[in-house]
Amino acid sequence: MNSDKLRPLWVALISVLLGLIAGGILMAFTGNNPVEGYIYLFKGGLMSIERIGNTLATATALILTGLSVAFAFRTGLFNIGASGQMLMGGLCATALGLSLNLPKPVLLPIVLLAAIIGGGLWGLIPGLLKARFNVHEVVATIMMNWIAFWTVNYAVPSFFKGEYLETESRNIGVNASLRVEWLTKLFNGSYINLGIFLAILSIIVIAIILNRTVLGFQLKAVGFNKDSAKYAGMNVNRNIVLSMVIAGSLSGLAGATFYLGYASNIQIGVLPSQGFDGIAVALLGANSPYGALATAIFFGILHSGKGFMNAMTSIPPEIGDTIIAIIIYFAATSLLIHKFLDKIKAFIKGARKK
Amino acid sequence: MKKIALVLVLFLSFATVAFASGNKESVSSKMKVGMVTDAGTIDDKSFNQGTWEGILKAGEDFGVTVKYLKPTGTTEADYLKEIGNLYDAGYKFIVTPGFKFETTIYQAQDKYKDAKFVLIDGTPHTPDYATFRAEKNVVSIFFAEHESGFLAGVATALQLKEGSVGFIGGMEIPPVQKFNWGFQQGIAYANSNKGTKVMLKSENVIYQGTFSEVAAGQQLAAQMFDKGVTAIFCAAGGVGVGAINEAKSRAAAGKNVWIVGVDVDQYADGVYEGGKSVILTSAMKKIGTAAYDMIDAELKGNFPGGETLVFNAVNDGVGLPVKNPNLSSDVIKTVDAVFAELKKGSIKVSDEQGNLIK
Repeated sequence: MNSDKLRPLWVALISVLLGLIAGGILMAFTGNNPVEGYIYLFKGGLMSIERIGNTLATATALILTGLSVAFAFRTGLFNIGASGQMLMGGLCATALGLSLNLPKPVLLPIVLLAAIIGGGLWGLIPGLLKARFNVHEVVATIMMNWIAFWTVNYAVPSFFKGEYLETESRNIGVNASLRVEWLTKLFNGSYINLGIFLAILSIIVIAIILNRTVLGFQLKAVGFNKDSAKYAGMNVNRNIVLSMVIAGSLSGLAGATFYLGYASNIQIGVLPSQGFDGIAVALLGANSPYGALATAIFFGILHSGKGFMNAMTSIPPEIGDTIIAIIIYFAATSLLIHKFLDKIKAFIKGARKK
Repeated sequence: MKKIALVLVLFLSFATVAFASGNKESVSSKMKVGMVTDAGTIDDKSFNQGTWEGILKAGEDFGVTVKYLKPTGTTEADYLKEIGNLYDAGYKFIVTPGFKFETTIYQAQDKYKDAKFVLIDGTPHTPDYATFRAEKNVVSIFFAEHESGFLAGVATALQLKEGSVGFIGGMEIPPVQKFNWGFQQGIAYANSNKGTKVMLKSENVIYQGTFSEVAAGQQLAAQMFDKGVTAIFCAAGGVGVGAINEAKSRAAAGKNVWIVGVDVDQYADGVYEGGKSVILTSAMKKIGTAAYDMIDAELKGNFPGGETLVFNAVNDGVGLPVKNPNLSSDVIKTVDAVFAELKKGSIKVSDEQGNLIK
C-alpha cells in the first residue's frame, strides 16, 4: 500500500470525524442526542430522490468554487476571490440571459461563456497585479470581491430590476435557465440542474490539465518553487496570470450554475458564501480535483440536511449552522493533522530502530 | 464512535428506502405549527420576531408544538427546502412572514396539498406576476402599513413640533414603501392641521437595500443626524438596529436624537444608560396577533383558506404601542383622536406614492 498517496484521504477523513465529534459534543451540550441529530442530518440530505437532487444542486456551486481555489493553490496562489468571481460570472450570465431572446441550445452556451469570461476577468486582474507588481493575491482578490459586490448592487437595480422588486433582477426566462424539465422530473421537482454535469466535466478537464499536460506541469512547478521553475526556463509570470484566469473562470461558471440554475435571478446585497466555503472544500479535498468533488458533495449533504435536523430535533437552526461551521473548521485545520501523523510515523520508526 | 459511523453508513445505504417510512412519528392530536424565517434572524426585533412571538403565544395558550427554521439563503429554492423540511417533520401548519415568500407559497400550495399556509404580507403568484392564485389551504394577510406610518408621522411631528426628520427603509418593497408614504402623509397632516413645522427632505429618505446590514444602518443614521435630522423612522429590520445603536450613543452623549420604531414596539431596544429610550414611538403591525388568530381559527375549524385578510386601523391590526413614555400626554391624546378618525374613515391615508418622496 502506498501510504503517501492515500495520506490526504486519511487526513480528510480524520478531519471530518473530529468535526463530527465536536459537533456532536455541541449537540449533547445543548441537550440533544447527537446520534439522533446526525441521523436526521444525513436523512435530510439523502432520504428521498428529491432531497438527493437538492443536495447535488447545493453541491454544484461548491464543487466549482472548491475546484477554483484548489487549482490556484496548485500554482501557489491563494484565491480568496471565488465569491466575487462567482458574482461577476452570475451578473454577466444573467445580463445576457435577460437581454437576448434566443432558443435554448444557442442561448445556454452564450450565457455560460459570459459567466466564464466574467469570472475569468475577475481572476485576471489580481493575476496581473501579482505577476507585474507582486501585489499579494489575497489582498487583491478580497478587494475584487467587494468591487463585484458593489458592481452588482449598482448594475442590478439600474438595468435589470424586477417589476416590483428593486433588490433582485427579473427572473430569467426558461431558455436561459440551466434547469431542464427531464432532470427536474427525474428528481421529483428538485432544484438539480445541468450545472452538476458542468461541474463534473470541469473536474475531469482540470484533472487532465493538472496531471497530463505540460501546462499543468509548469503550473505545479511554479507552485512548488517559483525560483527553480524560473531557472528551468518557465515563464513564471505568464503561469501566474493563467492560473488565476482559469481559477476565476471556474468560479464564474459556479456563478452561472448558482444564479441560473439553483436560483433564477441575481440578488443584491449578498456575497455568495459558496466562495468562502470553496476554500474549505479545497483544503479538505487536499487541492485535488476529485477530492474537491467528494468534499463538495459532503458539504452539500450537510447544508441541505441541516433544515431537516432542525425540524426533527430541538436543535435550534443557529446551532445547526454552528455544527457545520465546526466541521468546516476542522477541515481547515488539516495541516495540524498532517503534523500529528508525521509525529506518529516518526514515533513508530523510532520504536522500530530500537 | 463506531456506533455512529455504523449508523451513518446504514443510513447512507438505505437512504432511499428510508423515505417510504420516513414520516412515521407518533401522530398526536395536537397541531404542529412551523415557521420559516425571512432574511434576517429570529431576533430581528421586527418581522421574524413579531411573527414568532405570536406563534409562541399560541403554543403556550393552545398547547400546539411550534418550530421555526432559518433558510440558508433568500432564494425560492432555499425557502421551499425549509417548507419541505417542516412538512416532512409533520409541521403542516406553516407561517411564512414576508413578501418574498409569494412565489414559494404559489408552488408549495400545490406541492403540499394537505398543509396549510399563512402568508403574511403577500399573496401567492408566479414569478412573472402573470398568475395570482390562492388555494383553499392558503391565507394571505396584509397590513395597512400606510395607516401605521401615518400615525407615527403625526405623533413624531406633534412631539418634535419643528425640525427635520428622516426615513430609512430596508428593501424597496411595498410594505416598506407604504410605511414611508404613510409617514410622509402623517407629517404633512400635522403640519397643515396641527400647526407643526416639521420638514422631511427628499435627501433624507433612503432605502438601504437590505434588511441585514447593521453597519450600513448605523452609517446612514450618522449621516442624517449630522445633517441636523432629529428623528428617523426606520422600517429596515437589521439596518434599523444599526440606526438605533447610533442614536443610543448620541443620546447618551446628550444629543437630542430619536428613532421611530417599526413592526413591533421597539421601545426596549432603544434603552440606553439611565433607562431612557431613543424610541419615540413605533409604527406597529400586529403581526403576532395575525399569526395567533390564524392558529386559533384553524383549531376552531374555521381557517379562512383562500381568503385575503387585511389588518388595519378598523380591526386594530395596526397602530402605535399602548405605552409611549417618550410622547407627552397631550400628543397621545391628539394621536388617539386621529386614530379614532382613521377608524371612522373620516381621515383617509393613501397607500400609493402619488407625489410623495420615493
